Amino acid sequence: MSEHHKVDKSHEAAVTDRIMFGFLVYLMTDLLMFAVLFATYAVLRNNTLGGPGGAELFSPQLALTGTLLLLTSSFTCGIGMIGAREGRRNKVLAWFGITFLLGLAFLGLELYEFAEFIHEGHTMTTNAFLSSFFTLVGTHGLHIFSGLVWLGILMAYVVKRGLTSTMVRKLALMSLFWHFLDIVWIFIFTFVYLGAFV
Amino acid sequence: MSKHSEHGSTKSYVVGFILSLIFTLVPYYLVVNMTLAGTTLWVAILGIAVLQMAIQLLFFLHLGRGPKPLYNIVFFFATAGVIVITVGASLFIMNNLYRNMSPEESTRRLAQKENIAQIGGEETGACAQNKNSYIITIQDGMADPNLVEAERCDTLTFFNKDSETRVIRFGVYPAQESYGGEFEVVLDDARPETITLNQEGEFMFYDERDLGVSGSFNVE
Repeated sequence: MSEHHKVDKSHEAAVTDRIMFGFLVYLMTDLLMFAVLFATYAVLRNNTLGGPGGAELFSPQLALTGTLLLLTSSFTCGIGMIGAREGRRNKVLAWFGITFLLGLAFLGLELYEFAEFIHEGHTMTTNAFLSSFFTLVGTHGLHIFSGLVWLGILMAYVVKRGLTSTMVRKLALMSLFWHFLDIVWIFIFTFVYLGAFV
Repeated sequence: MSKHSEHGSTKSYVVGFILSLIFTLVPYYLVVNMTLAGTTLWVAILGIAVLQMAIQLLFFLHLGRGPKPLYNIVFFFATAGVIVITVGASLFIMNNLYRNMSPEESTRRLAQKENIAQIGGEETGACAQNKNSYIITIQDGMADPNLVEAERCDTLTFFNKDSETRVIRFGVYPAQESYGGEFEVVLDDARPETITLNQEGEFMFYDERDLGVSGSFNVE
Protein backbone atom coordinates (compact mmCIF):
# COMPACT_ATOMS: atom_id res chain seq x y z
CA MET A 1 0.00 0.00 0.00
CA SER A 2 2.69 2.43 1.01
CA GLU A 3 4.83 1.28 -1.93
CA HIS A 4 1.97 1.94 -4.31
CA HIS A 5 1.42 5.36 -2.76
CA LYS A 6 5.09 6.28 -3.27
CA VAL A 7 5.02 5.37 -6.95
CA ASP A 8 1.87 7.39 -7.36
CA LYS A 9 3.51 10.44 -5.77
CA SER A 10 6.58 10.37 -8.01
CA HIS A 11 4.37 9.85 -11.03
CA GLU A 12 2.38 12.93 -10.06
CA ALA A 13 5.57 14.93 -9.53
CA ALA A 14 6.75 13.92 -13.03
CA VAL A 15 3.43 15.03 -14.49
CA THR A 16 3.70 18.35 -12.66
CA ASP A 17 7.24 18.82 -13.97
CA ARG A 18 6.07 18.20 -17.53
CA ILE A 19 3.12 20.54 -17.21
CA MET A 20 5.32 23.21 -15.64
CA PHE A 21 7.83 22.89 -18.48
CA GLY A 22 5.08 23.13 -21.08
CA PHE A 23 3.72 26.22 -19.40
CA LEU A 24 7.20 27.72 -19.19
CA VAL A 25 7.56 27.21 -22.96
CA TYR A 26 4.29 29.05 -23.46
CA LEU A 27 5.37 31.90 -21.17
CA MET A 28 8.71 32.26 -22.95
CA THR A 29 7.12 32.41 -26.41
CA ASP A 30 4.70 34.97 -25.02
CA LEU A 31 7.68 36.91 -23.68
CA LEU A 32 9.25 36.81 -27.16
CA MET A 33 6.11 38.36 -28.57
CA PHE A 34 6.32 41.14 -25.98
CA ALA A 35 10.02 41.59 -26.82
CA VAL A 36 9.13 42.16 -30.47
CA LEU A 37 6.41 44.65 -29.49
CA PHE A 38 8.92 46.42 -27.22
CA ALA A 39 11.43 46.63 -30.08
CA THR A 40 8.73 48.03 -32.37
CA TYR A 41 7.78 50.63 -29.79
CA ALA A 42 11.42 51.55 -29.21
CA VAL A 43 11.89 52.16 -32.93
CA LEU A 44 8.65 54.08 -33.48
CA ARG A 45 8.27 56.00 -30.22
CA ASN A 46 9.45 59.30 -31.70
CA ASN A 47 7.43 59.06 -34.91
CA THR A 48 4.56 61.24 -33.78
CA LEU A 49 3.89 62.90 -37.14
CA GLY A 50 4.09 66.28 -35.43
CA GLY A 51 1.51 65.29 -32.82
CA PRO A 52 2.06 65.10 -29.07
CA GLY A 53 4.51 62.47 -27.82
CA GLY A 54 4.54 60.37 -24.68
CA ALA A 55 5.72 63.21 -22.42
CA GLU A 56 2.62 65.26 -23.29
CA LEU A 57 0.14 62.37 -23.22
CA PHE A 58 1.14 60.11 -20.33
CA SER A 59 0.36 60.80 -16.72
CA PRO A 60 3.13 59.41 -14.48
CA GLN A 61 0.76 59.34 -11.49
CA LEU A 62 -1.71 57.15 -13.37
CA ALA A 63 1.06 54.79 -14.47
CA LEU A 64 2.41 54.59 -10.92
CA THR A 65 -1.06 53.83 -9.53
CA GLY A 66 -1.49 51.02 -12.06
CA THR A 67 1.95 49.64 -11.24
CA LEU A 68 1.24 49.62 -7.51
CA LEU A 69 -2.11 47.88 -8.10
CA LEU A 70 -0.52 45.16 -10.20
CA LEU A 71 2.45 44.76 -7.88
CA THR A 72 0.15 44.34 -4.88
CA SER A 73 -1.99 41.86 -6.81
CA SER A 74 1.13 39.82 -7.59
CA PHE A 75 1.91 39.76 -3.86
CA THR A 76 -1.63 38.75 -2.82
CA CYS A 77 -1.53 36.06 -5.53
CA GLY A 78 1.61 34.63 -3.91
CA ILE A 79 0.00 34.64 -0.45
CA GLY A 80 -3.07 32.94 -1.94
CA MET A 81 -0.77 30.26 -3.41
CA ILE A 82 0.71 29.58 0.03
CA GLY A 83 -2.86 29.10 1.26
CA ALA A 84 -3.48 26.66 -1.60
CA ARG A 85 -0.42 24.58 -0.68
CA GLU A 86 -1.57 24.53 2.94
CA GLY A 87 -5.00 23.35 1.74
CA ARG A 88 -6.81 26.30 3.30
CA ARG A 89 -9.77 26.96 1.05
CA ASN A 90 -10.96 30.21 2.62
CA LYS A 91 -7.48 31.71 2.59
CA VAL A 92 -7.25 30.83 -1.10
CA LEU A 93 -10.60 32.41 -1.90
CA ALA A 94 -9.88 35.56 0.13
CA TRP A 95 -6.40 36.28 -1.29
CA PHE A 96 -7.19 35.30 -4.86
CA GLY A 97 -10.39 37.36 -4.52
CA ILE A 98 -8.27 40.40 -3.62
CA THR A 99 -5.96 39.58 -6.52
CA PHE A 100 -8.96 39.50 -8.84
CA LEU A 101 -10.24 42.89 -7.63
CA LEU A 102 -6.81 44.52 -7.90
CA GLY A 103 -6.41 43.13 -11.43
CA LEU A 104 -9.84 44.44 -12.31
CA ALA A 105 -8.93 47.89 -10.96
CA PHE A 106 -5.72 47.84 -13.00
CA LEU A 107 -7.61 46.93 -16.15
CA GLY A 108 -10.17 49.65 -15.43
CA LEU A 109 -7.40 52.23 -15.09
CA GLU A 110 -5.87 51.12 -18.39
CA LEU A 111 -9.20 51.30 -20.20
CA TYR A 112 -9.80 54.74 -18.67
CA GLU A 113 -6.44 55.92 -20.02
CA PHE A 114 -7.19 54.50 -23.47
CA ALA A 115 -10.65 56.09 -23.48
CA GLU A 116 -9.15 59.47 -22.55
CA PHE A 117 -6.63 59.26 -25.39
CA ILE A 118 -9.25 58.24 -27.94
CA HIS A 119 -11.63 60.91 -26.69
CA GLU A 120 -8.92 63.54 -27.24
CA GLY A 121 -8.39 62.23 -30.76
CA HIS A 122 -5.20 60.25 -30.12
CA THR A 123 -6.20 56.92 -31.61
CA MET A 124 -4.33 53.89 -32.82
CA THR A 125 -4.31 55.23 -36.38
CA THR A 126 -3.03 58.73 -35.49
CA ASN A 127 0.66 57.96 -35.85
CA ALA A 128 3.24 55.18 -35.59
CA PHE A 129 4.03 56.06 -31.97
CA LEU A 130 0.41 55.57 -30.91
CA SER A 131 -0.01 52.42 -33.04
CA SER A 132 2.91 50.78 -31.31
CA PHE A 133 1.83 52.11 -27.90
CA PHE A 134 -1.72 50.79 -28.16
CA THR A 135 -0.47 47.45 -29.49
CA LEU A 136 2.09 46.94 -26.73
CA VAL A 137 0.03 48.14 -23.77
CA GLY A 138 -3.21 46.73 -25.24
CA THR A 139 -1.66 43.28 -25.64
CA HIS A 140 -0.63 43.37 -22.01
CA GLY A 141 -4.15 44.46 -21.05
CA LEU A 142 -5.59 41.58 -23.06
CA HIS A 143 -3.38 39.19 -21.10
CA ILE A 144 -4.61 40.72 -17.84
CA PHE A 145 -8.19 40.25 -19.04
CA SER A 146 -7.53 36.58 -19.91
CA GLY A 147 -5.86 36.12 -16.54
CA LEU A 148 -8.91 37.53 -14.78
CA VAL A 149 -11.26 35.20 -16.68
CA TRP A 150 -8.98 32.26 -15.87
CA LEU A 151 -8.76 33.23 -12.20
CA GLY A 152 -12.53 33.67 -12.00
CA ILE A 153 -13.12 30.18 -13.41
CA LEU A 154 -10.55 28.61 -11.07
CA MET A 155 -12.12 30.30 -8.05
CA ALA A 156 -15.55 29.04 -9.08
CA TYR A 157 -14.07 25.52 -9.24
CA VAL A 158 -12.47 25.91 -5.81
CA VAL A 159 -15.85 26.88 -4.40
CA LYS A 160 -17.57 23.95 -6.12
CA ARG A 161 -15.01 21.14 -5.83
CA GLY A 162 -12.61 22.23 -3.10
CA LEU A 163 -8.82 22.21 -3.19
CA THR A 164 -7.84 19.00 -4.96
CA SER A 165 -4.20 18.47 -5.94
CA THR A 166 -5.11 19.13 -9.59
CA MET A 167 -6.71 22.37 -8.48
CA VAL A 168 -3.58 23.45 -6.61
CA ARG A 169 -1.53 22.74 -9.72
CA LYS A 170 -3.87 24.83 -11.85
CA LEU A 171 -3.70 27.67 -9.34
CA ALA A 172 0.11 27.42 -9.42
CA LEU A 173 0.08 27.85 -13.23
CA MET A 174 -2.29 30.77 -12.91
CA SER A 175 -0.08 32.49 -10.33
CA LEU A 176 2.97 31.89 -12.55
CA PHE A 177 1.09 33.63 -15.37
CA TRP A 178 0.16 36.52 -13.08
CA HIS A 179 3.74 37.06 -11.84
CA PHE A 180 4.87 36.93 -15.46
CA LEU A 181 2.43 39.69 -16.41
CA ASP A 182 3.68 41.77 -13.48
CA ILE A 183 7.27 41.48 -14.72
CA VAL A 184 6.27 42.47 -18.26
CA TRP A 185 4.41 45.45 -16.83
CA ILE A 186 7.50 46.61 -14.89
CA PHE A 187 9.22 47.06 -18.25
CA ILE A 188 6.21 48.81 -19.79
CA PHE A 189 6.09 51.15 -16.78
CA THR A 190 9.82 51.87 -16.96
CA PHE A 191 10.39 51.99 -20.68
CA VAL A 192 7.10 53.35 -22.01
CA TYR A 193 5.78 55.58 -19.22
CA LEU A 194 8.87 56.74 -17.30
CA GLY A 195 10.99 56.63 -20.46
CA ALA A 196 8.72 59.19 -22.11
CA PHE A 197 9.88 61.79 -19.58
CA VAL A 198 13.62 61.14 -19.89
CA MET B 1 13.01 19.56 4.46
CA SER B 2 10.38 22.19 5.00
CA LYS B 3 7.70 22.26 2.38
CA HIS B 4 8.22 26.00 2.01
CA SER B 5 11.77 25.77 0.76
CA GLU B 6 10.67 25.23 -2.82
CA HIS B 7 7.62 27.47 -3.00
CA GLY B 8 8.54 30.35 -0.72
CA SER B 9 7.13 31.43 2.60
CA THR B 10 4.96 34.37 3.53
CA LYS B 11 8.16 36.07 4.69
CA SER B 12 9.81 35.75 1.26
CA TYR B 13 6.72 37.26 -0.38
CA VAL B 14 6.61 40.16 2.10
CA VAL B 15 10.33 40.89 1.63
CA GLY B 16 9.94 40.65 -2.16
CA PHE B 17 6.91 42.93 -2.07
CA ILE B 18 8.64 45.62 0.01
CA LEU B 19 11.73 45.51 -2.23
CA SER B 20 9.50 45.74 -5.33
CA LEU B 21 7.75 48.81 -3.90
CA ILE B 22 11.10 50.49 -3.27
CA PHE B 23 12.31 49.66 -6.77
CA THR B 24 9.10 51.09 -8.23
CA LEU B 25 9.11 54.34 -6.28
CA VAL B 26 12.81 55.11 -6.73
CA PRO B 27 12.75 55.30 -10.57
CA TYR B 28 9.43 57.16 -10.39
CA TYR B 29 10.89 59.91 -8.23
CA LEU B 30 14.12 59.95 -10.23
CA VAL B 31 12.06 60.75 -13.33
CA VAL B 32 9.48 63.08 -11.76
CA ASN B 33 12.04 65.13 -9.83
CA MET B 34 14.50 65.20 -12.73
CA THR B 35 17.34 64.27 -10.39
CA LEU B 36 19.29 62.82 -13.27
CA ALA B 37 19.02 63.37 -17.00
CA GLY B 38 19.69 61.86 -20.38
CA THR B 39 21.64 58.63 -20.65
CA THR B 40 22.41 58.50 -16.92
CA LEU B 41 18.69 58.50 -16.15
CA TRP B 42 18.02 55.85 -18.80
CA VAL B 43 20.74 53.59 -17.39
CA ALA B 44 19.45 54.17 -13.85
CA ILE B 45 15.78 53.38 -14.50
CA LEU B 46 16.43 50.44 -16.83
CA GLY B 47 19.00 49.06 -14.37
CA ILE B 48 16.43 49.30 -11.57
CA ALA B 49 13.84 47.58 -13.80
CA VAL B 50 16.23 44.66 -14.31
CA LEU B 51 16.85 44.51 -10.54
CA GLN B 52 13.09 44.58 -10.02
CA MET B 53 12.74 41.64 -12.41
CA ALA B 54 15.47 39.75 -10.53
CA ILE B 55 13.67 40.41 -7.23
CA GLN B 56 10.39 39.10 -8.60
CA LEU B 57 12.04 36.05 -10.15
CA LEU B 58 13.73 35.23 -6.84
CA PHE B 59 11.05 36.14 -4.28
CA PHE B 60 7.83 35.55 -6.24
CA LEU B 61 8.76 32.86 -8.74
CA HIS B 62 11.53 31.24 -6.64
CA LEU B 63 13.75 30.76 -9.64
CA GLY B 64 16.52 28.27 -9.11
CA ARG B 65 15.11 27.01 -5.79
CA GLY B 66 14.01 23.47 -5.14
CA PRO B 67 14.76 20.35 -7.18
CA LYS B 68 13.48 21.57 -10.53
CA PRO B 69 14.77 20.13 -13.79
CA LEU B 70 17.83 21.88 -15.22
CA TYR B 71 16.22 22.32 -18.65
CA ASN B 72 13.83 24.89 -17.16
CA ILE B 73 16.70 27.24 -16.33
CA VAL B 74 18.53 26.49 -19.57
CA PHE B 75 15.40 27.28 -21.56
CA PHE B 76 14.85 30.48 -19.59
CA PHE B 77 18.31 31.80 -20.36
CA ALA B 78 18.11 30.71 -24.00
CA THR B 79 14.96 32.83 -24.32
CA ALA B 80 16.72 35.75 -22.64
CA GLY B 81 19.44 35.46 -25.30
CA VAL B 82 16.92 35.46 -28.14
CA ILE B 83 15.25 38.54 -26.65
CA VAL B 84 18.53 40.44 -26.38
CA ILE B 85 19.28 39.65 -30.03
CA THR B 86 15.77 40.52 -31.25
CA VAL B 87 15.50 43.84 -29.41
CA GLY B 88 19.16 44.87 -29.72
CA ALA B 89 19.45 44.03 -33.41
CA SER B 90 16.13 45.72 -34.26
CA LEU B 91 17.28 48.93 -32.61
CA PHE B 92 20.70 48.76 -34.24
CA ILE B 93 19.31 48.15 -37.73
CA MET B 94 16.53 50.71 -37.51
CA ASN B 95 18.83 53.37 -36.09
CA ASN B 96 21.26 52.88 -38.97
CA LEU B 97 18.42 52.90 -41.43
CA TYR B 98 17.12 56.16 -39.99
CA ARG B 99 20.49 57.86 -40.03
CA ASN B 100 21.35 56.83 -43.55
CA MET B 101 18.01 56.73 -45.29
CA SER B 102 15.70 59.12 -43.46
CA PRO B 103 14.17 61.18 -46.31
CA GLU B 104 14.37 64.44 -44.35
CA GLU B 105 18.06 64.14 -43.57
CA SER B 106 19.18 62.83 -46.93
CA THR B 107 17.13 65.43 -48.83
CA ARG B 108 18.67 68.20 -46.79
CA ARG B 109 22.17 66.81 -47.29
CA LEU B 110 21.64 66.38 -51.02
CA ALA B 111 20.08 69.82 -51.40
CA GLN B 112 23.09 71.43 -49.74
CA LYS B 113 25.65 69.46 -51.71
CA GLU B 114 24.00 70.01 -55.07
CA ASN B 115 22.88 73.53 -54.26
CA ILE B 116 19.18 72.88 -54.83
CA ALA B 117 17.30 75.90 -53.48
CA GLN B 118 13.78 74.55 -53.99
CA ILE B 119 12.12 71.18 -54.35
CA GLY B 120 8.51 71.21 -55.51
CA GLY B 121 8.24 74.91 -54.66
CA GLU B 122 9.45 74.39 -51.10
CA GLU B 123 12.65 75.97 -49.87
CA THR B 124 15.22 73.35 -49.04
CA GLY B 125 17.31 75.70 -46.93
CA ALA B 126 20.32 75.25 -49.18
CA CYS B 127 22.39 78.39 -49.65
CA ALA B 128 23.07 79.41 -53.20
CA GLN B 129 25.86 81.76 -52.23
CA ASN B 130 28.06 81.65 -49.19
CA LYS B 131 28.79 84.84 -47.30
CA ASN B 132 31.35 85.09 -44.52
CA SER B 133 33.69 82.31 -43.48
CA TYR B 134 34.50 81.40 -39.92
CA ILE B 135 37.25 79.10 -38.82
CA ILE B 136 37.42 77.09 -35.63
CA THR B 137 40.91 75.85 -35.02
CA ILE B 138 41.34 72.78 -32.88
CA GLN B 139 44.77 72.60 -31.31
CA ASP B 140 46.11 70.85 -28.21
CA GLY B 141 42.64 69.53 -27.41
CA MET B 142 41.00 72.96 -27.41
CA ALA B 143 38.61 74.58 -29.89
CA ASP B 144 39.34 78.24 -30.62
CA PRO B 145 37.15 80.23 -30.74
CA ASN B 146 34.60 78.13 -28.89
CA LEU B 147 31.73 80.42 -29.82
CA VAL B 148 30.93 81.61 -33.31
CA GLU B 149 28.19 84.12 -34.07
CA ALA B 150 27.26 83.78 -37.71
CA GLU B 151 24.50 84.48 -40.15
CA ARG B 152 22.69 82.03 -42.35
CA CYS B 153 24.67 80.96 -45.40
CA ASP B 154 28.00 81.75 -43.79
CA THR B 155 30.43 78.88 -43.73
CA LEU B 156 32.16 77.32 -40.79
CA THR B 157 35.46 75.53 -41.15
CA PHE B 158 36.84 73.14 -38.60
CA PHE B 159 40.62 72.97 -38.79
CA ASN B 160 42.24 70.15 -36.90
CA LYS B 161 45.88 70.93 -36.11
CA ASP B 162 46.34 67.98 -33.78
CA SER B 163 47.66 64.69 -35.06
CA GLU B 164 44.69 62.58 -34.00
CA THR B 165 41.56 62.14 -36.08
CA ARG B 166 38.57 63.96 -34.64
CA VAL B 167 34.89 63.15 -35.05
CA ILE B 168 32.82 66.28 -34.50
CA ARG B 169 29.21 65.64 -33.54
CA PHE B 170 26.40 68.12 -33.00
CA GLY B 171 24.44 68.63 -29.80
CA VAL B 172 25.56 68.06 -26.22
CA TYR B 173 27.33 64.79 -25.42
CA PRO B 174 26.05 62.07 -25.82
CA ALA B 175 23.42 63.44 -28.23
CA GLN B 176 23.86 62.78 -31.92
CA GLU B 177 21.86 65.47 -33.60
CA SER B 178 22.22 66.44 -37.19
CA TYR B 179 23.18 69.78 -38.63
CA GLY B 180 22.26 70.46 -42.23
CA GLY B 181 21.73 66.75 -42.77
CA GLU B 182 25.17 65.79 -41.44
CA PHE B 183 25.52 63.73 -38.30
CA GLU B 184 29.26 64.07 -37.97
CA VAL B 185 32.25 65.85 -39.42
CA VAL B 186 35.36 63.71 -39.57
CA LEU B 187 38.60 65.68 -39.32
CA ASP B 188 41.74 63.85 -40.27
CA ASP B 189 45.17 65.05 -39.26
CA ALA B 190 45.71 68.68 -40.32
CA ARG B 191 42.80 68.77 -42.71
CA PRO B 192 40.04 71.38 -42.65
CA GLU B 193 36.42 70.53 -43.23
CA THR B 194 33.82 73.16 -44.08
CA ILE B 195 30.08 73.14 -43.46
CA THR B 196 27.55 75.63 -44.74
CA LEU B 197 25.44 77.18 -41.99
CA ASN B 198 22.06 76.60 -43.57
CA GLN B 199 20.07 75.91 -40.40
CA GLU B 200 19.21 78.73 -38.03
CA GLY B 201 19.42 78.49 -34.28
CA GLU B 202 21.90 77.83 -31.50
CA PHE B 203 23.98 74.70 -31.85
CA MET B 204 26.63 72.92 -29.87
CA PHE B 205 29.35 70.60 -31.08
CA TYR B 206 31.80 68.21 -29.43
CA ASP B 207 34.51 65.78 -30.38
CA GLU B 208 33.14 62.33 -29.76
CA ARG B 209 36.60 61.02 -28.86
CA ASP B 210 37.86 63.99 -26.85
CA LEU B 211 35.13 65.74 -24.90
CA GLY B 212 37.49 68.64 -24.04
CA VAL B 213 36.92 69.82 -27.59
CA SER B 214 33.54 71.49 -27.63
CA GLY B 215 31.91 74.77 -28.47
CA SER B 216 28.88 76.35 -29.98
CA PHE B 217 27.77 78.38 -32.94
CA ASN B 218 24.76 80.62 -33.33
CA VAL B 219 23.22 81.13 -36.72
CA GLU B 220 20.82 84.01 -37.25
